[in-house]
Amino acid sequence: MRYEAGATFEGNTLKTVSGTMREVVRKTLRYATSFLLIISLNFALPRLMPGDPVKNLIGEDVYVSEAVMEELRIEMGLNRPLYEQFTAYIGDLLRFNLGYSYHLHSPVAEVLRERIGWTLLFVGVSIFLGAALGTLLGAYAGWKPETKANRLICYGFIALSCTPPYFLALICLDIFAFELGLFPFKGFYDVPTPGSVMYHMFLPVTVMALFSASRNFLIMRGSVIQEKGQLYALYARAKGLYDISILFRHVIKNASLPIITLLALDFGFLFSGALFTEIVFSLNGMGTLIYDAIIGKDYPVLQGSFLVIALAVLLANMLADLLYAIADPRVRRPT
Amino acid sequence: MEWTKSKLLGIAALSILFLGGICLVILPSGDERAFGIETPEADANASAKPEKVLKIATPNVIKSESLVGDYYLGIFAHLSNFPLMQMSEDGKIIGRLADHYEVSEDHKEWTFYIRDDLYWSDGVKVTPEDVRFSMLYYGEKDPAGRWINDTLESSSISETNNSVTFKFNKPYTRIDLEFTTYMIIPRHIWESIENPMEYSSKGPYVGCGPYYIESVDLNTARLIFQKNPYWKGKTCTFDKVEVDWYASEDAACLALEKGEADTYYKYASSYPYANIERLEKTGDFSFVEKDSTGICYLGITLNEAPRSDLRFREALAYAINYEELMQLDTLGYGSVPNKGLVPPGMEYYKPTEKCTYDPEKAREILKKAGYEDRNGNGIVEDKKGKDILLELMICPGYERDAELFQEYFRAVGIDIEVENVDQNTYMDRKDTSRYELVFSRTTPWGMLMHSGLGTGYFDSRRYGYIEDPAFTGLCDQILNTTDSDTLCSCAYSLQDYYAEELPVIPVYWKKVVTPYNKKFEGWHYNNLDGIYTLDTFLDLHEV
Repeated sequence: MRYEAGATFEGNTLKTVSGTMREVVRKTLRYATSFLLIISLNFALPRLMPGDPVKNLIGEDVYVSEAVMEELRIEMGLNRPLYEQFTAYIGDLLRFNLGYSYHLHSPVAEVLRERIGWTLLFVGVSIFLGAALGTLLGAYAGWKPETKANRLICYGFIALSCTPPYFLALICLDIFAFELGLFPFKGFYDVPTPGSVMYHMFLPVTVMALFSASRNFLIMRGSVIQEKGQLYALYARAKGLYDISILFRHVIKNASLPIITLLALDFGFLFSGALFTEIVFSLNGMGTLIYDAIIGKDYPVLQGSFLVIALAVLLANMLADLLYAIADPRVRRPT
Repeated sequence: MEWTKSKLLGIAALSILFLGGICLVILPSGDERAFGIETPEADANASAKPEKVLKIATPNVIKSESLVGDYYLGIFAHLSNFPLMQMSEDGKIIGRLADHYEVSEDHKEWTFYIRDDLYWSDGVKVTPEDVRFSMLYYGEKDPAGRWINDTLESSSISETNNSVTFKFNKPYTRIDLEFTTYMIIPRHIWESIENPMEYSSKGPYVGCGPYYIESVDLNTARLIFQKNPYWKGKTCTFDKVEVDWYASEDAACLALEKGEADTYYKYASSYPYANIERLEKTGDFSFVEKDSTGICYLGITLNEAPRSDLRFREALAYAINYEELMQLDTLGYGSVPNKGLVPPGMEYYKPTEKCTYDPEKAREILKKAGYEDRNGNGIVEDKKGKDILLELMICPGYERDAELFQEYFRAVGIDIEVENVDQNTYMDRKDTSRYELVFSRTTPWGMLMHSGLGTGYFDSRRYGYIEDPAFTGLCDQILNTTDSDTLCSCAYSLQDYYAEELPVIPVYWKKVVTPYNKKFEGWHYNNLDGIYTLDTFLDLHEV
């Protein structure tokens, strides 16, 4: 009998291990397929846009002959059939070569390296602060939605989430830089010291953190309202736990699943930057890089930027899968 | 630990205050000036040598640190790396790095005599060899300068005359104008750089003007010029010139109002008209107000009826409410144009008949020309009996103007369908004349292209659609002469052609308004560079 029980246990364990393995293989295949699709889309999307990169490179009100235009097309490899351009692009990728920017006259990898660092700094901090602030306040507002203070905070965050980012950034610039003169108008720094960087980053980071917080707040609040009505919350109360302990020890864990999804999505945003905030505060980040590349039909920059963003999103999704499994045991169970 | 609501709120508020506080406290070590905090070190520096800085705010964003490769850095660098020629305040082309020039009778050989008082900021004298090196480089590497390579037969240097001669394989009459845009770079520095277009550096860049580029930093969004120690010309008042760029025009205007800059410069454009009043109220700024040589126009391709019919185009011209459109777009900083297109700020301007709004007359002309509304649906029919429907192409930003055009033309019985296309499609279709009507603008440089007077936009051999030999012949005459009397007579005839044939309807002329700090005077302006001229930097001084 004991032997039988042991065999059943081993059988179950084996089943679990093979189930987990299957899951890992399935997910790896899924991510690999997504990656291949993304690479193809990265190539196709810029070329689907209207306009001619050569004409863009030459600029407005400059006349060059058709022969020169054709020469440039040949130099840029744009005269070749699409399948040849695609194989060249894949070949370059395999050699870790992201190409050369038409407009910035620099290797794309170099341009991206410089921009990503700064973008990570200001968007990353904003997302982190926004997640912390939105989750904590949202959880509390969802736990006691009827109080006046929580209602007020809720109205505030709804208003924030409805405000166009460009407008909010301009309002902040007007109040804190123009009217009060507390913060600078532009740039990452005046002199490259931590103090100057923090001083310059404060306004853009605050604007973006508030945005991020408002979204996280609303989702967390709704999620907590839903979770607090579950039986386990009632049981915890019956056990004699304090309200706040029920919220932070039990409810928040289940309510945070949508937030994990949102943060994973925000990870792509982390690298694509925040175009409007970058424009208002004249920041040299990924948002403006991509925007300028779209306007200027700079295919190599677009391909490189999209690739980095796609990789970041894939990575974030993998992380989100892991976090889901940690936060929710049901996800760990093989189907 | 017991979590309470007040604790949570307190932590959130304190985190923000703490971060803000840190920023404010740490700052003095890094940036005293911006915060107005005086430290002993800053005081000592200040008393040792008070630095006079001219600050310029601009929405023209420098996107790379490549002197030769970046468009706007190239424009700003004209202060440190002179082009051969420049435009004077009255619109004439005069020498800048060149003292003067000579051109052979067949217009194939151009000799530029280089000023002999110019030195690069590292002490080396500017030579004709620098000019030749720069031009050959642009001819080889710069797509816009490829014509130099294609047509240059030979070039030679004369050390005794301090001159450089370019011999082309075909006649050119407007090389002096072309050479207002190509900055000259020092050969002794750049010859060792394999591909100058790809070379980028945060500075310094050796220059030969009154200032040289000390640094260009994309992260501070600032370009700094320092005095050239080897400059032998007129002494400049300012030790340093700072160009601060803002990605948002609104932010640039706020910075100016706050006093963060002494003037505003946007290439070929005005200070935003809507912000002028606000800036005026600060009491710190005066304004340079000049006629722009850039205009707004309605282009009409002439390849098909009824657009090919002069009487139809006359009716279109009378249907437009010029005053309303001008007020809408320029807030009064503009004027109703003449039918001759060319604005008063341009050389060889001829006053022609003013455009007038007279819808009744438009209807009358249409009726006389045989365009009548026979089926009573409010739209006139063409000669084949079909309702006239024209497509008006615009790009984003011109939606309101398009609505008004629609209203004006429908009021006289011409139906309009607005086609709002993205900027790239717009440029592509406009430059290949694939449209029926287009609402567009010209730039000051664009007005000088080809034979000048806007011909580059309208001659079918360039970006236009006019194939009439009368027009192209006038363009060729201008292109074949450097004689000012002939140029003047051709320019007048060309304006008469615009006014009589109406191949394009000017919609409004506009003004370029540039604010400047009242503390300084000595501002100069030309049609090509606005206030960013050499004379401004040489003459500017405190009141």
